[in-house]
Amino acid sequence: MSALPADETAYRLEMRDISKSYGGVRAIRHADIAIRPGTVHALVGENGAGKSTLIKIIAGAEFADAGAISFNGEPITISSTTDAIQLGVQTVYQEPQLFPELSVAENVFVGRELTRGVRVDWARQADQMHDLLATVGLPDRISTAPVGTLSIAEQQQVSIAKALAGDATVLILDEPSAILTDAEIEVLFTVIRRLTSAGVAVIYISHRLDELFRIADVVTVMRDGETITTRPIGELSVRQIAELMVGGVVSESRPQNGAATGEVVLELDGFSRTGRFDGVDLTVRSGEIVGLYGLVGSGAGDIASVIYGMDKATGGRMLVSGRPVTVRNPAQAKRLGIHLLPANRSAQGAFSFQSIALNIVVGELGLLSRIPGWASRRRERAIAQEFIRRLAVKTPTERQPISAMSGGNAQKVVLARQLVKRPALLVLAEPTQGVDVGAKEEIHRIISGLADEGTAVLVVTSDLGEVLRISDRILVVRAGQITAEFRPDATQVEILAAAAGADTPDADTTPAPIVIQEDQT
Amino acid sequence: MTTETTTVRPTARRILPPPVTGQEFVLTGVIVALWVLLGVFTPAFLTPGSIQPLLVSVAPIALIGVGMTFIIITAGIDVSVGGAIMLCAVITAKMMVTANLPLPLAVGLSIAAGLLLGLVNGVLIAYGRVHAIIITFGTANLFQFFALRVFGSETVNGIPGTLDVFGRGEAGRTLGVPHSFAIMIVIAAIAWWYLRHTTGGRHLFAIGGNANAARLAGIRVQPRVMVAYAVTGALVGLAACFFIAAGTSTLDQAVGSGRELAVIAAVVIGGTSILGGRGSVIGTVLGAILVQTVTSGVTQLGWPSQLATLFVGVFIIIAVGTDLLRQRVRAQP
Repeated sequence: MSALPADETAYRLEMRDISKSYGGVRAIRHADIAIRPGTVHALVGENGAGKSTLIKIIAGAEFADAGAISFNGEPITISSTTDAIQLGVQTVYQEPQLFPELSVAENVFVGRELTRGVRVDWARQADQMHDLLATVGLPDRISTAPVGTLSIAEQQQVSIAKALAGDATVLILDEPSAILTDAEIEVLFTVIRRLTSAGVAVIYISHRLDELFRIADVVTVMRDGETITTRPIGELSVRQIAELMVGGVVSESRPQNGAATGEVVLELDGFSRTGRFDGVDLTVRSGEIVGLYGLVGSGAGDIASVIYGMDKATGGRMLVSGRPVTVRNPAQAKRLGIHLLPANRSAQGAFSFQSIALNIVVGELGLLSRIPGWASRRRERAIAQEFIRRLAVKTPTERQPISAMSGGNAQKVVLARQLVKRPALLVLAEPTQGVDVGAKEEIHRIISGLADEGTAVLVVTSDLGEVLRISDRILVVRAGQITAEFRPDATQVEILAAAAGADTPDADTTPAPIVIQEDQT
Repeated sequence: MTTETTTVRPTARRILPPPVTGQEFVLTGVIVALWVLLGVFTPAFLTPGSIQPLLVSVAPIALIGVGMTFIIITAGIDVSVGGAIMLCAVITAKMMVTANLPLPLAVGLSIAAGLLLGLVNGVLIAYGRVHAIIITFGTANLFQFFALRVFGSETVNGIPGTLDVFGRGEAGRTLGVPHSFAIMIVIAAIAWWYLRHTTGGRHLFAIGGNANAARLAGIRVQPRVMVAYAVTGALVGLAACFFIAAGTSTLDQAVGSGRELAVIAAVVIGGTSILGGRGSVIGTVLGAILVQTVTSGVTQLGWPSQLATLFVGVFIIIAVGTDLLRQRVRAQP
């Protein structure tokens, strides 16, 4: 360990004036963060605020374009993950980065094995496992189990043990609680306190603001790539942090939607999927846009997957136009008139090397001709051209491959596919993720237009501005349950506070979010 | 284990999976059963005159299989070994004819040639970041082209008997054990130890299990991957000597052709996961023995030789099917 005196005021890690751009987009601008040993330093911000980029720079996975880093007061450069590891900067990623086939003990030591000559010294590793496992609260016998057989929570504890085996001086926890149950979070906190009392500096990233008050000492808020403020956590409330995260942005008024007076198209009643979400009740009417807002790991995305038959429900009922249904697969969902715009465009949406035209019509090849099995290229072209015009897709021709298009235009193409046959219910998962501002605007306009024409729309999103802008009603999902409902005149702060868990009343906070009871007419 | 016993500290032995896996016991059982059955139906099978050639034909496949096991554990593959055998064999055979190389030089030349070819694959795959199957499919054709140029459209004739120590004849055996098979066993044993007990070996498993996590854990992924292909190349060079010795002073253009499939079959039947992260050298050797047993058994029973292909195909499907099923069961919470 470092020979420096354990000065209480000295920073373990200090980053000043850090900037980083990706292809012209500024991900981080002049960010500052400084972490003292033995403290938990929370890092919060909305999606895209620059938290991940900042963390990657500390961990050596990305390099800053500008700025200075010092470690225990010494200026240093971190140019690879190996550099960071040598300083004792260890990261526990949200998705455990482990090797499923290898035993827990091997996973813990991989990359820094204890050796005797060229041989791995299994005996000495086994010895050290005892203390490491005790620190992270796992039983000894687990060290021989293949990691692939453990639960996610156990895998995370293994990840922390792995970080400790590398003599962690700075431990970065990236949304560690997003995938954990409440009981598991308690274990995590105990582990974190044990580490800080041993002098480790912990950087704690979380969307769940309520828990920060139980674990963090200091909080740094990021917004739009800048570090807005760094304060002792005691000086702030959940609401104040939410306000800092959102900034002074006034939510824009959404385009005028038609009143939600239609028939109920989708009704969920006690809808559940074990471990993902539980007892979800919601209705979406024809012509209505319902926004389902939840943070990473809240279960909002899982609700969409189950509605579309990608995963199975384990409890509750789903009714489509009043008829109880069990959707077993996406093909059946489509027959019921349910269409889904998937969240991950490149993995689940686009056929990248294929033309725009094919990407638009691929879901409805049956419409291309009356002869089964025959696809008329002329019809394909006609339909494609119609949608390119209707959705204002910017492309010279419908023959262009979708891989050559910008994110926004590609998203419009994938959206067009859901509209070739008018859906009764359109589920949109993160419809504007990775899309530029102009295209975002247009996609919102298209969605509103669809609702006005009578489609029931369910927008699942973690984009606060978006959910406020286009929804007629907003449901907040937290820990797998719908915890609050808002009208679109709610403020960003109210919604964020509900989603991030401001249910512990704060002295200087307005009371818990107003839950609107919709009259069930 | 009852819970009231005092905490059992994990021991070194138990951190690792057992030295021999269940699948390897099953394979051994299948091989023994086949040998007994073949011994009953064709009395000539369980005689040295039948077993020795079987072991000689196992040797080069299993030897290359050892390297291929390294590669497949890293979630890669090398389909160029057939072409590489051909190129190493023809270069070595030609040089033996023209310069009458002594044994160490002939073997050294072949291994050096193989190492070079393996390095070409390794550098392109590790640093070029193109999928292994694409690179090695390309190099397979390149190697074959160069080999055919060296052959110059005729067989190599009049090869001196220097390499007969690896052959089927009396010179190729000590106490009835074929030298080529013994060499293969020694190398396989070293490889088994390397994979199990050294950091380099364990890192191959980590890379195949999750390459990104391996990089984040500070493992130097690229050099490790490159070495796996280079080692395979060197083993191909040695195996090429066995192939030269198998002929009677001639080498024709068919040498090595299709051998990549026999090698991959041996590795996969031996329980190495085609998805990477899991595998064993013992399994590969057993897989090679099983494949050769089936081939030679079908011949000795006087059955149509296509049946051997059918059986090998069935074994591969069973092996891959078991692996995928295992992964799927594990994926369930």
